[in-house]
Amino acid sequence: MAHRWGMAVDLDRCTGCEACVVACRAENNIPSVGEDQAQKGRAIHWIRVERYYEGEFPDVRVKFQPVLCQQCNNAPCEPVCPTYASYHTDEGLNGQVYNRCIGTRYCANACSYTVRFFNFFNPAWDKPLHLQLNPDVSLRQVGIMEKCTFCVQRIKSAEIRAKEEKRELRDGEPAPACVQSCPPRALVFGDLNDPESEVSRLARSRRGVKLLGELGTQPNVTYLQRNEWNDNNT
Amino acid sequence: MERRDFLKVSVLTGATAALSGCEKPAHTLVRFIPEEDLIPSVATWKPSVCTLCPAGCGLMVRVLPGEAEVVRNGKLGTIQMGLAKKLEGNPNHPVNWGKLCARGQAGLQITYHPDRVRSPLKRSGPRGSGSFQPVTWEESIREVVSKLQELQSQNQSESLRFVSACLRGQRHELVRKFLSAFGAPAAMVFDPLDEPVLRQANLLSFGQADMPSFDLAHTGYVISFGADFLGTWNSPVAQSIAYGEMRQGRPGNRAKFVQVEQRMSQTGANADEWIAPRAGTEGAMALGLAHVILKEKLRPAADNKATRLIAGWSQGLAEYSPEQVERKTGVPAQRIQRLAHEMAAHLPAVAIIGGLPLAHTNGLFNALAVNALNTLLGSVGMPGGLFFTPQPPSENAGSWSSESDFASVLLAGKLDGTKVLLLHNANPVFATPAVWKVRETLDRIPFIVSFGSFVDETSQLADLILPDHSPLESWLHDVPKSGTNQAVVSLAAPAMLPLHDTRAMPDTLLEIAHQIGGEAAKALPWENFQEMLQASMAPLRTADGINPPPDPEKFWSKVQEQGGWWSDKVRQAARSAIPQKQLVTEFAPPQFDGEESSFPFHFQPYVSQAFLDGSLAHLPWMQEMPDALSTVMWGTWVEINPKTAQKLAIEQDDLVEVRSQHGKLLAPLLVSPGIAFDVVAMPMGQGHESFGRYASGRGANPMTILAPMQVAETGSLAWASTRVQVSKVGKAKLALFSGGLFERPSELQQR
Amino acid sequence: MRSRIRGLSLIFVGLAAVSSFFLWPTSSANSVKRRGIDSQDVFTPAHPTILDSLREFIGWRETPVQPLAFTHRKHIENQIACTACHKGVNQGPSAGIPDINVCMRCHTFFAKDRPEIKKLAGIFDSGQDITWQRVYGFSPSAHVKFNHAPHIHASVDCSVCHGDVKSMTVAVRAVNLNMGFCLSCHRAKQVSTDCVTCHF
Repeated sequence: MAHRWGMAVDLDRCTGCEACVVACRAENNIPSVGEDQAQKGRAIHWIRVERYYEGEFPDVRVKFQPVLCQQCNNAPCEPVCPTYASYHTDEGLNGQVYNRCIGTRYCANACSYTVRFFNFFNPAWDKPLHLQLNPDVSLRQVGIMEKCTFCVQRIKSAEIRAKEEKRELRDGEPAPACVQSCPPRALVFGDLNDPESEVSRLARSRRGVKLLGELGTQPNVTYLQRNEWNDNNT
Repeated sequence: MERRDFLKVSVLTGATAALSGCEKPAHTLVRFIPEEDLIPSVATWKPSVCTLCPAGCGLMVRVLPGEAEVVRNGKLGTIQMGLAKKLEGNPNHPVNWGKLCARGQAGLQITYHPDRVRSPLKRSGPRGSGSFQPVTWEESIREVVSKLQELQSQNQSESLRFVSACLRGQRHELVRKFLSAFGAPAAMVFDPLDEPVLRQANLLSFGQADMPSFDLAHTGYVISFGADFLGTWNSPVAQSIAYGEMRQGRPGNRAKFVQVEQRMSQTGANADEWIAPRAGTEGAMALGLAHVILKEKLRPAADNKATRLIAGWSQGLAEYSPEQVERKTGVPAQRIQRLAHEMAAHLPAVAIIGGLPLAHTNGLFNALAVNALNTLLGSVGMPGGLFFTPQPPSENAGSWSSESDFASVLLAGKLDGTKVLLLHNANPVFATPAVWKVRETLDRIPFIVSFGSFVDETSQLADLILPDHSPLESWLHDVPKSGTNQAVVSLAAPAMLPLHDTRAMPDTLLEIAHQIGGEAAKALPWENFQEMLQASMAPLRTADGINPPPDPEKFWSKVQEQGGWWSDKVRQAARSAIPQKQLVTEFAPPQFDGEESSFPFHFQPYVSQAFLDGSLAHLPWMQEMPDALSTVMWGTWVEINPKTAQKLAIEQDDLVEVRSQHGKLLAPLLVSPGIAFDVVAMPMGQGHESFGRYASGRGANPMTILAPMQVAETGSLAWASTRVQVSKVGKAKLALFSGGLFERPSELQQR
Repeated sequence: MRSRIRGLSLIFVGLAAVSSFFLWPTSSANSVKRRGIDSQDVFTPAHPTILDSLREFIGWRETPVQPLAFTHRKHIENQIACTACHKGVNQGPSAGIPDINVCMRCHTFFAKDRPEIKKLAGIFDSGQDITWQRVYGFSPSAHVKFNHAPHIHASVDCSVCHGDVKSMTVAVRAVNLNMGFCLSCHRAKQVSTDCVTCHF
């Protein structure tokens, strides 16, 4: 059976430590744009940790929420692309084909989650920082839209490895960089078509919600809401 | 893009096209013979050790062959070599179990930093000017040796000083042996991330001068006094892994977590309940909780070392009734009552203290009070409680107790007779109050040698820079002091060949010792650091490690393959108390520098999520990582409550001046709901004058305006006891990731 | 006819000029702070010059000139497998181009008297590696992540994509590896033709 990749984000475990943000940066050759461009909102972060304050001092609460491409099953970004650069892959991802992208930015406009990033300039690395670049991931030039791929390069190499060893993929075997790094294990990745996988189990949780689910985008990412502590300890 | 840019670009494009034609510069470079066997595009994972903070996590380095520009025999060329591409946690390492924090992952950029010192440098201009010229290793080592021999011949061995960040394991042992054989005083420690106050308190309360570990995965209730244990404090990855378990790893048993602090930290943001008592009264609050537990007999009364340190404990802490504590701390009596009941009802409960509460003049009292509360809760050495990481049988070295604190040496004026200073991994010029005049003191030392990889504020004063390898290019050895209940010795071979003409500090020191000869050469007989490590690991073969191979050579390759040695025995008891001189402490209100009338705000610098104490500000990944709470990138800010801002008629993105009695700084204002009305907070780490292109000249450094207040018992800097005033001086702009996209300058101005 | 070619080339030049305007490494616009450092010290995926972008646009590649007249034929005749020198081809994405250590493993002993081998030994003695020029490979802006290993495991013969190497001396680009070439085979063998199979 074909895979349908999905993620569960347990907000009760997430501590806002930003490990996922840097892991993504290291894995996916995301350029640093510098202060001036960052001020214009042109910094690129395929995954970010959103922070929401509730209440006023002294009764302040904070909620952290990692947000990445939700890999929607009914994705607003796909039908608007005039060149089919944004398209739906066989395994349920919202693919972005850099070769086809002509930089209309319609997809970023259509996206409900602000997880698509445009390359306003050619990325640049001061030598020898470029020696770190991951050869498994393309470098995106100016004029190209980019976004989280669920680390498709890791999925592909895990699939190739499994095929070589003549076996099925194990649950949790392809892990995107963010999931791999997450210290409190707030991020869980796996195959939603496998009802026994950890991610499927978590996606069925009572705490599970979809981000802006009312829009009908049908994301493959499920958020597990934070619990409240109460005295009888459940 | 502006019109001008367009013109500029088209002119440039045309010109370069005409000039350069089809010449590809890479073709003109010499290609050197590879120095290792490489299989292209096949990744190998090599174990390593993270050295960026005291946690000491185990790493796996993804290494792939690539082409690097290098200098060989004075010639520039390219070479195929294994290059580190990504850092992940070592899945079997008992501290971090395959996980790694944001900073640890960014450590990769240290190796490839464009502003790394690429060869030995000799000062060529006046001190502090930053002009250096490259010299050879032979020449520079000879110079150091002759200076040191000169000291010996004049019987002035004791005027050699060594200052360093906390050293552990064999690197520490090497430095210790070198200094004692030479006849120099023990190394001075300068490490803003160290918690000397807590280690002192733990020595008094539990007989062990180490950082504590916490069994959060099995606890029922956590109260943390100021410790940013999910962010930057102690062993954050180990603590975060356990935190995940405590929240959702035990169905139906989700522990409660209470955070006590004046400015909401990243850790505090995750708390179920957040409490802001008055600054410096955390110890009183802990004793208020103990009072209720004792009075209502919620727990059996404890009588041991930790409790006997607290005045009035045996009388049931009569002076810490909830009402009295309310007057001291501002926390309602009812709330204290409730918290004490909750805690006792959800055992095992554990209390943590770290960071700001220890940085007040009464820091030691605060720590002792929390230690006593832990004792009362019965959490010391118990599952779900506080324990100390067992130490490996062969390692009696690695204790910090032999070292002296840099600050106390400096303030006692004992640095003045120094003739030669060796500087390793410490930047005291940056991270100390300006009134301490560290720069001026170091300026008077005739000869300074730095092992730094970067020309930072302190290395800038050096006469000679002997650049260390980056950690990924080095033999590493570490003995974690917290974060695990197994005895661990981390060990790693270099993950990649050196990129530049650098040498590992231990090898340089060995070379210097051998050239000096005499005692120093005798004390350090090893050819290189690798040999020393192999010798130090040998006794562990017969210890209770996981499947120790019988053969010494096999054992040596096994520990390299695994990333170290760890015991298969799990132990979390606190060591039994060693008799100590009795010391009874009473609540003393924290002292502050500056009158409340003219300096109305407590100034609380805090350890930055991205840069720690500033030692990581040179990494572009860390600069561009949005801070979790403020979402600020590439900058620094002053945090203030919205109501306070309103009162002062200042708003977000105003440039404000923060002034203490000892200095002033300018920074943009950030309005944040999670901070007390009388507190002004600011992250450490920015404001470097000299630390590579990404950090230099960026933001402001809160340490500079601190008052020279000390924790009386330890002599360490009480960095939370400065009062300040705040006033608007202009406009500024913070780069916020949550700020939205602006495509035209006009949009930005409207913001 | 001639004017049509001229018209076409004008369009190409125009397009290339426009694209190079976008592809120019605009170090002034990229605001990562640089003090007194010229663009030689910056790595960017942009084309270095207009000419390069034009070349890529029309798919024109220079014929590589190898520093040594290496003969594939001779080695294959001597029963040396492709994988003996092109290491990693069955393990990972790329087929390794051998460094001089690989050559010297045999040529320290064999055929030492041949002029090309003497040249080889000379390079080795000067402490240098051979500056082989790439024959195959995709440009970075093709965004293709081809992986050799699964093709080897699927028993695709080297010659399918690299031509009849055993009759070659220095390797020449015998097969035009465009997307149509890849897809025709993928379709015939009924393996994935999803874009992200190769483009990521």
